Amino acid sequence: MIRVRGLSKEFGTLDNGGGVQALRDIDFEVNDNEFVTIIGPSGCGKTTLLRIIAGLIPYNQGEVIIDGRPVIGPGPERAVVFQNFALMPWADVLTNVAFGLEIRGRTPEECRAKAQDLIKVVGLVGFEKRLPKELSGGMQQRVGLARALAVNPRILLMDEPFGALDEQTRRLLQEELLRLWEQERKTVVFITHSMEEAVMLGDRVMLMTPRPGRVKEMIAVPLQRPRSRDVEKSSAFVDVKEYLWEQLRAMQAAA
Amino acid sequence: MAFAHGSRRSKVQKKSVHRTGARRNRMKRSIALDWGLRLSVFIVAVASWELFLGASQNFLLPRFTEIASGLFRLLFFEARFWEALYISNQALIFGFVISLFLGVPLGLLAGRFRWADRVLNPYVGVLLVMPVAPLIPIVIIALGLGLAARLFIVVLFSFVFITVNTRAGVRNVESSLIEMAKSFGASEAQIWRRIVIPGATPAIFAGMRIGLGRAITGMVMVELLLVASGLGRLLLEFSGRMQSDFVFATVIAVIIEALALLAAMQALEKRVTRWAPDVSIG
Repeated sequence: MIRVRGLSKEFGTLDNGGGVQALRDIDFEVNDNEFVTIIGPSGCGKTTLLRIIAGLIPYNQGEVIIDGRPVIGPGPERAVVFQNFALMPWADVLTNVAFGLEIRGRTPEECRAKAQDLIKVVGLVGFEKRLPKELSGGMQQRVGLARALAVNPRILLMDEPFGALDEQTRRLLQEELLRLWEQERKTVVFITHSMEEAVMLGDRVMLMTPRPGRVKEMIAVPLQRPRSRDVEKSSAFVDVKEYLWEQLRAMQAAA
Repeated sequence: MAFAHGSRRSKVQKKSVHRTGARRNRMKRSIALDWGLRLSVFIVAVASWELFLGASQNFLLPRFTEIASGLFRLLFFEARFWEALYISNQALIFGFVISLFLGVPLGLLAGRFRWADRVLNPYVGVLLVMPVAPLIPIVIIALGLGLAARLFIVVLFSFVFITVNTRAGVRNVESSLIEMAKSFGASEAQIWRRIVIPGATPAIFAGMRIGLGRAITGMVMVELLLVASGLGRLLLEFSGRMQSDFVFATVIAVIIEALALLAAMQALEKRVTRWAPDVSIG
C-alpha cells in the first residue's frame, strides 16, 4: 500500500529563494493490487509525484509511506517504466531486460533465465540480440516493461509509458498491459495525459490541477474486470471520460 | 500471453535478409565509387603538383616521381629512417598512452561532477588555447634533452583534447538512463560502469583520434625545434643537405603511420560502438 500524506515539493529553494511549488498538500492512497491512473494538465506535477514515489527525488514536506516504511530512495518492491523507454542504446534486448536483475546482484544464469521469460511475456522472442535502435517504439517500450517486470516488483510505477507511441501501438500495449495485470494484479501507479487511457486502465483515476500541483479528485471507475475494448462503448466509460473532460477543460480555461 | 508475431516474424525476417543482400550490393558499389573519387582527387593533386613545378622552374622542389622513389629508398635502403621512426615513436606512443590515462579520467570526473568541472574548467580552457610551441624551450631547459621532455610536450599537445571530448561524452549520456539505473537501486560505481562509461565511449574515441593527431604534431615539432632526435633530426639533416625528395618522403611516411594508427583506432571503435550513430571525425 502506498500512502501519501501532506506531500509538498518545491524546486529551486536552496539557492534562489523563490522556488517553484510543484506539489502542494498531496493526499492519497493506493491499495494493494490496485491500478490507479493519474491525469492532469501539463505542469500539474504528476511526473514529479511519480519520481518522488519512486524514490528518485527528495521532497520537502509530508510523507510517502510504502508498506509502513517511509520512502527514502528506490526500493526492491518498486520498478519504474519510463516515458522515453530509457533503454541502453549499446546493449541488446536481453541485456536491457536483465539490467535490473544484474544491478540487484542476481547470478548471470538467473538474470538470463528470468530475462528470457519476460521477453517471452512481452512477445519479443527472436529479438534478444537486437539493439534498441533496431526496434519500433512499441517494441522498445515492451523492453522497458519487461525490464521492470523482471525484478518482480509488487509496485509498478509507470510514467506516461505509452505517451511517445502512435495511437494503434498505444492501444495494443494498453490491452497487453491489462491482460498482464489481470494475471498478477500488481499495484500500479500510471501517469497519463489521455482520458481514454486513464479510464480504460484504472480502478480509480486521480485528477490533478496545476500550479501548484494538487489532487482535485479521486474518481472510482465503475467498470468490471477483466476489461476489453468493448467497455469503451459502455455508458459508464463514456460518463467518466466526459466528466474528466469537463474538469480538464475548466482547468485549461482558467489557465 | 505471447504476441501473435510467430508467423509474421518469419516473413519479416525473410524480407530483411533480402534487403541486406541488396544493401550489401549497394555498399559494394558505393565503396567502388568512393575509391574512384579518391583516386581522381589524388591524380588531380599529383598533376597539379607537376604542372606547378613545370611553371615555377623551382628545381629544389622534387617531382612527384622523385618523392615516390625517395619514399621507396627511405623505407627500404635507409636504415636510419627506421631507427628515427623507432625513437620518435617512443615519445609518440608512450606520450599518447599517458595522455589517455590522464585525459580520460579527468574528462569523466569533469563530466559527472559539477565540482570537478568547476575546478578543472579554467585549466582546461588555458590548455586548449595555449600555444604549446613557445613552451618547448622552457620544457627542455627544465627537463633536459631526453625522452622526458619529448613525452611532456606530446602529452601537453594531446591530453586536453581527450579530456574535453570525454567530458562532452559524459554530459551527453541521457540523464534518464542514469535515473533508470538509480530506480533499480544502482550504486554510483554501477552507474559508472554500466551507464556513464559505455555511454561516453564514442566521444572518448573521437577525442582519442583528435588527441592522436595532436600528439603526432607535438612529436615532430619538439624534435624539429630543439631536440634533434628521431624523425625531426632526420628531417633537419635532409633539408640541410637539400635532399628535398627525402624531406617530402619522410613527411609522407609520418602521414602514412598516422593514418594507419587512426585506421586501427577506428576499427577498434567500430567493434566497441556498433550501437552509436556514425559521428566520426577524421
